[in-house]
Amino acid sequence: MDQNQPAGENYANPKTCFFHVLFKAAALAFYILSALFFDSFVIIFVVTVVLAALDFWVVKNVSGRILVGLRWWNEINEQGESVWKFECLDQESLARMNKKDSWLFWWTIYLNAVAWIFLGIFSIIRFEPDYVLVVGVCLSLSIANIVGFTRCRKVMLAKWLDVLI
Amino acid sequence: MENNFENPFHGAGQVGQAVLEPTRRSSPRTPPFPYSSLPFASSNAKSPTPSPSPVVIPPGHNIVAPTLTEPVWETVQRDLSRILSNLKLVLFPNPHREDPGKALRDWDLWGPFFFVIFLGLTLSWSASIKKSEIFAVSFALLGIGAIVLTLNVLLLGGKIIFFQSLSLLGYCLFPLDIGALICLFKGHFIARMIAVFVTMFWSSWAAYPFISSAVTQKRKALALYPLLLMYVSVAFLIIATS
Repeated sequence: MDQNQPAGENYANPKTCFFHVLFKAAALAFYILSALFFDSFVIIFVVTVVLAALDFWVVKNVSGRILVGLRWWNEINEQGESVWKFECLDQESLARMNKKDSWLFWWTIYLNAVAWIFLGIFSIIRFEPDYVLVVGVCLSLSIANIVGFTRCRKVMLAKWLDVLI
Repeated sequence: MENNFENPFHGAGQVGQAVLEPTRRSSPRTPPFPYSSLPFASSNAKSPTPSPSPVVIPPGHNIVAPTLTEPVWETVQRDLSRILSNLKLVLFPNPHREDPGKALRDWDLWGPFFFVIFLGLTLSWSASIKKSEIFAVSFALLGIGAIVLTLNVLLLGGKIIFFQSLSLLGYCLFPLDIGALICLFKGHFIARMIAVFVTMFWSSWAAYPFISSAVTQKRKALALYPLLLMYVSVAFLIIATS
């Protein structure tokens, strides 16, 4: 088991890390800088929200899987009740996951949410309800991912502690 | 829980149906390995470990947690085909199907997202003044309207899942999208009005079986009236801005 990783190791999945950060940064940058270039609220709204939605999909389906080996979704079972399903890699694969990858994963999703909260506070202070709508949509997407992955991780950890004890 | 020690590859989440097929809905629910399921928000009392049945697994696929190691393109295809199948289900409800209320089991919010944005864009495009306000108003109206309608059904004691209902109301918006698109081509006013009303009736007809099967007989009208109200107001918004 390759536990002793050399100091200064690189990211194991640089392309995935790049995409994980790309859409978040693009949405934030577009939102902040667009006031300089575009006059039309519609374009700002649509592009920002589409970028945020793409980021949500990428984090949930691609980078969550590859960087931290977790996956969550919601299903409705035969009785018509809503069930949250969690999936993770087996213990050995998870132990082999790159530390830098998972560090990047978790920190960027938290920072993303914090950044949107800041921007939301700004637009509330400036009394711009339209922009509060944009920020609200982007914020709810990031919070959904945070909640989903945190729950997934907690449930997985609890399950393994159960098994060990 | 004892097979967790013997089986080093235990995946800690039930994958449900055989997810190796692109559309999960059409395959029977026989997981290839005895996973233990981890339900969260439900009182799911069924026993978690069915006996494993032999499943042919195509090469390159992980048996343990199939969706975790599938290629990205497969995820995209799965999501796209789910959007299409949900759309078909909602728009052409089969009156002979026994339980229309359970048909949108595989809910997703991507379809509704695209349709709401599309409607906002079309309305904003065809408006000659106040484009931004119209877009913001239509988006907010559709979003908040969907949430309020869902809450209405839930408060009437209806049995419907929050996200499933949001998803449904979003998919039922598709005919109105077509109506707005038709209105973009500035034809005769009467023709546009007829097109919009036809699509409005189509939307309401599509949403009707799901909503009505969720509430009791006495409260059907209470649940359906706000729904019709919302679609009528969206239809008027389309006509007014064209």
